[in-house]
Amino acid sequence: MYQALLTRKYLTSKIMPLLAMVAVMLSVATVLITWSVMGGFLRALLDSGRVLVGDVTITWPAIGFAHYDELVADLEDDEMFVAATPVIEYFAQIQLPDGRPTEVYLKGVVPDGFDRVTAYMDHVWWRALDEPTARDEEGADIRLLDGNEAVFAEALDNARSMSRALGDGEAHRPAAILGIEVTGYNRRNAVGVYDYLIPYRTLPDGTEEPVPVFMPLNGEIILTVLPPAKGGGIVAEPVTRSIPVANEFQSGIYEADKNTVLVPFDWLQNILNLGEARRTRPGASMFETAFDPVTGEQIPAAAAGAQVSPARATSVIALARDGATPDQIRQRTREIYAEFAARHPGEIPSPSAIQIATWEDLNRTLVAAVKKETGLVLFIFGIVCFTTVFLVLAIFWAMINEKTRDIGILRALGASTTGVATIWLSYGAALGLVGAILGVAASILIVHNINEIHAWLGSAFGLVIWDPRVYYFVEIPSDIVPINALVVLLAGIATCIIGAAIPAFRSARMDPVESLRFE
Amino acid sequence: MTTAAAQPELRTTPPAHAPLIRVERLRKTYKLGRVKVPVLHGVSLDVASDETVAILGASGSGKSTLLHLVGGLDRPDRQVKNYRRCARCGYDMAGLEAPRVCPECACPAPALNERASIVFDGRNVTSLSARQLNRFRARDVGFVFQFYHLLPELTVLQNVTVGAMIRHGLGYASSAADARARAGELLDAFGLGHRLRHRPAQLSGGERQRVAIARALINKPRLLLADEPTGNLDAETGAQILDALADLREKFGLTMLMVTHDPAVAERADRVVRLHDGVIQGA
Ligand SMILES: Nc1ncnc2c1ncn2[C@@H]1O[C@H](COP(=O)(O)OP(=O)(O)O)[C@@H](O)[C@H]1O
Ligand SMILES: [Mg+2]
Repeated sequence: MYQALLTRKYLTSKIMPLLAMVAVMLSVATVLITWSVMGGFLRALLDSGRVLVGDVTITWPAIGFAHYDELVADLEDDEMFVAATPVIEYFAQIQLPDGRPTEVYLKGVVPDGFDRVTAYMDHVWWRALDEPTARDEEGADIRLLDGNEAVFAEALDNARSMSRALGDGEAHRPAAILGIEVTGYNRRNAVGVYDYLIPYRTLPDGTEEPVPVFMPLNGEIILTVLPPAKGGGIVAEPVTRSIPVANEFQSGIYEADKNTVLVPFDWLQNILNLGEARRTRPGASMFETAFDPVTGEQIPAAAAGAQVSPARATSVIALARDGATPDQIRQRTREIYAEFAARHPGEIPSPSAIQIATWEDLNRTLVAAVKKETGLVLFIFGIVCFTTVFLVLAIFWAMINEKTRDIGILRALGASTTGVATIWLSYGAALGLVGAILGVAASILIVHNINEIHAWLGSAFGLVIWDPRVYYFVEIPSDIVPINALVVLLAGIATCIIGAAIPAFRSARMDPVESLRFE
Repeated sequence: MTTAAAQPELRTTPPAHAPLIRVERLRKTYKLGRVKVPVLHGVSLDVASDETVAILGASGSGKSTLLHLVGGLDRPDRQVKNYRRCARCGYDMAGLEAPRVCPECACPAPALNERASIVFDGRNVTSLSARQLNRFRARDVGFVFQFYHLLPELTVLQNVTVGAMIRHGLGYASSAADARARAGELLDAFGLGHRLRHRPAQLSGGERQRVAIARALINKPRLLLADEPTGNLDAETGAQILDALADLREKFGLTMLMVTHDPAVAERADRVVRLHDGVIQGA
C-alpha cells in the first residue's frame, strides 16, 4: 500500500527518474520505428519481387515444353490456383532509337492472361493521371499535363493489347512494353516520378543530334534473338525484328525494370520457331521417296514421315488463391504437373526434371533478408535495452542514495526488506509502463506521419534520407505490426524493472540504523 | 533502581509485576572495518508499564544504539563471550577466571557466554525472526527521532497514516478510513488539524516533531521510544512537545523510553538512568 503511495508521489515529484522514463520512451520508440520502417521496407521490396512472376513458375528453359495450354487449363481448374498463363522467356539484344545496344530479358506474354496472373497493367507507367502521386506536390509529373491525356490514354490501351499503330489510321502491330529503366531516357526525380529526357544520337564526327522520340508514342526498338538451332543442330541463326513500343512498366525491382521487355506471346513464339510446326522425321533425306498407299503414286517420303510438332512455351506461371503458402503451392503444382506429364509420356519434360519455383524461391535473397530482419531488430533491441538498463540502474542508484534515510524511516515504522525493495520495483515498473506507452504512442505518431516528417526535414534542413531517385518507393514504406508493438512495450517495462532491480536489492539490504544516521 | 542483572538465573517465570520491558546483559559492538568498537557492554534495564524513563548520557555513549536495539531495529551481539566488565559498576574483570562475584561491588558476576535478552511483554525480542521484528516495530513500538525524519514527499496526513499502511499491508484498504480518522484526531490534538495537506517542509520544527509523534502513535503502540525528541528545538517548543507527550500518556497510558541530555526532559520522567561506559548506572 505504502509502495503505491510512494510510487505515485515519486512519479509526480521527482525529476531525475523521469529521465529514466524518457530513456525507456526513446528506446522503445527507436526500436519500434526501426522495426516498422525496416519491416515495411522489406515487405514492400518483397511485394515488388512478386510483380511479373506470379506465385509459381513451371519452366523448361530455351526449348520450352509442349501442351502448355493443357497445363494452363489444369492449373486453372484446380482449387489452389486462380489463374495461369504461358510465358516464353528468352534473351535478346535490342538496339535503342539512339543506336545504343543493350541486353534484355524477353518475356513473351498473352496480355489478358498475364494480367490476370501478375496484374502487370497496374505497373504500366505511362497513363493519364488526375491526381499527382504522393510526393509530387508541385505536379511536375508529365502524366498530369493538360493535352497529354489522349496520348497517355492510348498508350494505356496499347499496353493492354500489346500493340501499337505505326502512324495515324494504320493497323496495329505487335508492340513491346519496356522496363522503365531499359532505355535510360526516363530519369526518376526527387519526387519519385520520371522525367522524360530526349535521347541524343552520337554521330561519327563526334557531334550529337537529338532523336525526336517519346517511346510510348513513336518509339521502336530493333530486337535480335538467337533461336534454338533447328533440328538439334549447333548452328543458330540470329533473327532480327523491329517492334514498336506500346508503353513502359515499373515493377519496383531495378533489375527487372532495367532488363525486362514484355512482348506478345505469339510474336515471340513465332520468331523463336516454337510455334506449331510440321517436322521432318529425323533421319529422312530430302530426296527420299515413298508410294502413296491410296493412289500408288511416288511422293516425297518427308510428307509421309512428317508429324505435327505442337507449339511450345518455356514457362507457365500461375496465381494461387490467397492464403496458400509457398510450400503448399509448390506441392500442388508438382502433383498437377505429374498428372499432366502422365498423359503425355515422352513428349514433355519428366516431373523430376521440370523446374518448379515459387515466388519465394525466385526471391530467395529478399526472403532471407526479411527472415533475418527479426534477428537484426532483436540485436539492435538488445543493445538499446542493455544501454537503457544501465541508464535506469544509474538513475535508480542515485535516487536510492538520495532516499537512504527515508528507507531507514520506513524500516523503523515496520517495513520489511522486501517491502522496501517493492517500492523501487513498482516505481520502476510504473516508470517503464508510462515510458513504454509514451514510446509506443510516439512511434505510432511518427510512423504514421513519417513521410510528412521526412518532407519537413527535407524542406527545413535540406535533409533527405529517403531519396526517391535512389529508392523505388516514393513513400517510406512502414507499418506497425501490433504484436511487435506489444513485444517492444513489454520489453520496455522489463528493461526498467531490471534496471531498478539491482538498486532495489541494495536498498533492501541497507542497515536501517545506518540509513537513519545517514545525513 | 533495580537491576535485572542481580539475580538472572534465579527467575524462571515472570514475576507478578513483570516490567513491560526487561533488558538484560545487552551488548553491542560495531565493526569499523577490522576494528571492533564495543558500545554497549551489558546493559540491563527494566521499564514498568506506563513508566517514563529518561536515559541520560554523554554524546556517543550509545543511547541511540540502546533505543534501536529495544525497538527491534537492530540486533545485539549474539554471544556474550569473555564477559569483561561488571554489569553494575563496570569493573574490568578481564583476566579473572570465571569470577563468581564482582571484586569491586560484590554483585554476582554474570556467567560466561550468556545471551543478551530484551523481553517485551513476555516475548523475547532478540529471538524474533526478521518478519516478526518487522511486525513488532509496526505494532508495538513507536519511534520518535531528534530530526523528525518525516518523508518529504508525503503530506502531513500521509506521513501519519503511512505507519498504518505498513502495518496492515494490502489489508490497509479496509482500515484506511479508521487510520485516517485516528491520524486526524492525533493531529487535531496536536493543533495541526488544519495542516493535514501541508508538506513537512512547510512546517516549523516543533510542528514537524508533533507530526512525527502522531506517526509513532498511529498504530497504538505500547512503547514509545524517543531519541532526543527536543534536541533540535528551542526550550519553549521543547516544553510544548513534552506537554503533549504527558497528555498522551495520561490519555492512552503509554510507556516511554526517552533519550535526552536535556535536564528539563529528565525532570519530567518518572525515573532517570544514566548510560556511561556502556553500562547503565543508577541515577
Ligand atoms: N555503524 C556504526 N559503526 C561504527 N560505530 C558506530 C556506528 N554507529 C554508532 N557508532 C558509534 O557508537 C557509539 C554510540 O553511538 P550512539 O548510540 O549514536 O550514541 P548517542 O546516541 O549516545 O550519541 C558512537 O561512538 C558512535 O560513533
Ligand atoms: Mg544519539
